[in-house]
Amino acid sequence: MTESPLATPAAGTDASVPAAPGARRFWRRLRAQRAALVAAAVVALLVLVALAAPLLTALEGQDPFTYHPSLIDSARGGVPVGSLGGIGAEHWLGVEPQTGRDLFARLVYGARVSLGVALAATVIQVAIGVAVGVAAALGNQWVDQLLSRITDIIVAMPLMIMSLALLAVVPASFPRPVLVTLVIGLIAWGSIAKIVRAQTLSMKGLDYVSAARLSGWKTWRIARRELLPGLAAPVITYAALLVPMNISVEAALSFLGVGVKPPTPSWGQMLTAADVWYQAAPQYLLLPAGALFVTVLALTVFGDGVRTALDPRAASRLRIGTGRKDKDAATATAAAGATATDADATKKEATA
Amino acid sequence: MRQPSVIARRVAAASVSLVVAAGAAACGPKDSGAKGSGGDSTPHKGGTLTVLNSEPQTDFDPARLYTSGGGNVPSLVFRTLTTRNRANGAAGAKVVPDLATDTGRPNKDATVWTYTLKKGLKYEDGTPITSADIKYGIERSFAPELSGGAPYLRDWLTGAANYQGPYKDKKGLSAIETPDERTIVFHLNKPEGEFPFLATQTQFAPVPKAKDTGTKYEEHPVSSGPYQVVKNENDGEHVLLKRNPNWSAATDDQRKAYPDTIDVRSGLDSSVIDQRLSASQGADAAAVTTDTNLGPAELAKVTGDKELAARVGTGHFGYTNYIAFNPTVKPFDNPKVREAIAYAVDRSSVVNAAGGSALAEPATTFLPNQKSFGYTPYDPFPAGASGNPAKAKELLAQAGYPNGLTVTLTHSNAKDFATSPEIATALQDALKKAGITVKLQGLEDNDYRDTVHSVKTEPGFFLAGWGADWPSGGPFLAPIFDGRQIVKDGANFNASRLNDKSVNDEIDSINKLTDLDAAAKRWGALDRKIGGKALVVPLFHPVYKRLVGQDIRNVVISDWTGVLDISQVAVK
Repeated sequence: MTESPLATPAAGTDASVPAAPGARRFWRRLRAQRAALVAAAVVALLVLVALAAPLLTALEGQDPFTYHPSLIDSARGGVPVGSLGGIGAEHWLGVEPQTGRDLFARLVYGARVSLGVALAATVIQVAIGVAVGVAAALGNQWVDQLLSRITDIIVAMPLMIMSLALLAVVPASFPRPVLVTLVIGLIAWGSIAKIVRAQTLSMKGLDYVSAARLSGWKTWRIARRELLPGLAAPVITYAALLVPMNISVEAALSFLGVGVKPPTPSWGQMLTAADVWYQAAPQYLLLPAGALFVTVLALTVFGDGVRTALDPRAASRLRIGTGRKDKDAATATAAAGATATDADATKKEATA
Repeated sequence: MRQPSVIARRVAAASVSLVVAAGAAACGPKDSGAKGSGGDSTPHKGGTLTVLNSEPQTDFDPARLYTSGGGNVPSLVFRTLTTRNRANGAAGAKVVPDLATDTGRPNKDATVWTYTLKKGLKYEDGTPITSADIKYGIERSFAPELSGGAPYLRDWLTGAANYQGPYKDKKGLSAIETPDERTIVFHLNKPEGEFPFLATQTQFAPVPKAKDTGTKYEEHPVSSGPYQVVKNENDGEHVLLKRNPNWSAATDDQRKAYPDTIDVRSGLDSSVIDQRLSASQGADAAAVTTDTNLGPAELAKVTGDKELAARVGTGHFGYTNYIAFNPTVKPFDNPKVREAIAYAVDRSSVVNAAGGSALAEPATTFLPNQKSFGYTPYDPFPAGASGNPAKAKELLAQAGYPNGLTVTLTHSNAKDFATSPEIATALQDALKKAGITVKLQGLEDNDYRDTVHSVKTEPGFFLAGWGADWPSGGPFLAPIFDGRQIVKDGANFNASRLNDKSVNDEIDSINKLTDLDAAAKRWGALDRKIGGKALVVPLFHPVYKRLVGQDIRNVVISDWTGVLDISQVAVK
């Protein structure tokens, strides 16, 4: 599967990979996509909200942990007092049934968990994936065989089931958000390693890499100076698509009760507590569900925009970057484009 | 008693579902006399009652069923020597005669119990019921292939410890005598004043030896009650009951048996059951459930709708949810630490976490708040409605923790609003105010049960719940606080490892009493004595709300089961 693009090395064997003009063109192409820009703005806003959670809740005058027994109707199962789940000046999004905890505070603090875990897990996935992929491509046959088979095993492992098993056996004393991050990060790096290996192999045969090798550069220096810049495009593309997937996984794990522990709020955990309340207190369910939906949608659209901006074929459809006939850059993106498509294909396999 | 938690859970589940129809506002006292929920609700015979349940009626054999008071559906088919009183509230926690003429005549030290059968008792095929059939029914329950019942008979009957049942041992049990067709005498190896409670279980139902088909008997057990089994599909998933023509109301003053047919459908999700009952479409209008109750969110929805609210009944089943300590784990070996936690507990937030004031009542006693258990109100560590963190801090300082301490609370991840994360989080919040940092350890439900019920893995501080096989202080207190019931290998329920000679002796002494009211008083006093040791912190007694279909009449919910009694329900 990942072998096919390798068989025919990317066009333009005399190409080099100039980073600066590629980046500028990338921004130009990204800016041209309105959906991606809106998505980027939403993502930026969410990150800002997560970072400023203590400030925002201080502004509201609430915190995510304090119980407010007077704001719920104990005789009616603990449903919030007042209309729309107790929404008002003091509690902007109402209060949680049975506890009276402030929902706005729990939602914005929950964003920290969702985004923090997802981003940190993505960093781990990318780091391991790139390291394993490059090592497999540059190492000897044995190293390649070993690392590739390990990657195959990691790809074949069902993420949710493995996470459930791991999270169930680790003692409760281990900090939970860190653990969830590690579990997601350490299990789901397989596809990115495959992409990186394929791309590295294709670049290894290029003239500029051969030239570097012939001039006596060490493997590590070649990898750092000649290969990594060329890997940036597919890795960024894939990472942008990994983030929303990781958010969903974190929410699912928390929903199943093995994720972040109470009282730390997380969207998945809010969903699990709220699912029975969909009739009696609908906003309780709709808030975390909506937040999750918006976040995953925004990140996915943004990731898709990144992919499009890095894909020369999509770029030509967008009629962007055709004004300047920059031969070097065009060939460079051709190489990146081949792997971006490859990344896309692998992603489909992984999620299938 | 070896597996009481299993029983307790089953019973609790059953009680949950039965609570439905006792009346809208469902205050026990107001219901006195009134039998139904509707105004013109004179119950009439006829029609089909549908029972929507989540748990199937598996192993529908009187030898294999583990019931409290004879069960609900089983009690329609199996009559027993004694049974529970089919009445609302506290009156329903009494034992009354069923096949026998009285609840049993003990000898002086309650080691020999004699029963006489009523006259004119018949099976579904018209043959007479004899005392030998009751003896045979009990003997079958000792057969290894018909296991499942409570262990009391083996523990209590003289020389029964190694009996293997009538198939292997033709001589039978010498501890049971049948001097004539209507008399049966039980010889016990120790005084048991509560034998009449045991005689309500289905093992005391008659089984005609000629009709016994061993393990296949459950497919068509011979009925002694008002209904007989017409169909039993998928091991009790669908059970169809029709009237037993040879049952006579003249010999049975407990079962009303209004419907002609009872159709038990199981394997349903509890939310589906509540949804179907609230919609009351078609056959569901004449439906009840015996194992599902309303959760907090469902209650919130139902109470917002007058028509639905009128179809909700309230049940109390003797049950206590509490914090358990293992004093062999530090710092819980220090009574001051345990007392500090008892003072720090905020029962109002715990009650809210359990579903609010309609689904839980704050508890300060280990015994359930029902007279039959010997309930004696007391509060050894008065924390008020929402805790006394100042007093808790003071005790912690005395215990050597002036700057507070950090402890781990073990709970289950089951969504049961009993030992679940909601309760644990509410406690965490309350204890924080007293300077106690609580870390939560949530375990998957099965793992949680294995962990807390094994002396090897038992954590120091965990959420627990307890119910008894029958509404009395004995089976409620003994497994938890009798030092001789600490189980080293297997399921242990004496979590605090209390082995106090004065407590053990008092338990033995009360078991000799045949005057159950006198015994209840002493169970209450014993509860109070143990309560002062702060080995447990009682949190709340659950209350069960149950919805019934709109055509259901004559809802009776006893404190014994906390669920509506199918034998009383009418659909016309």
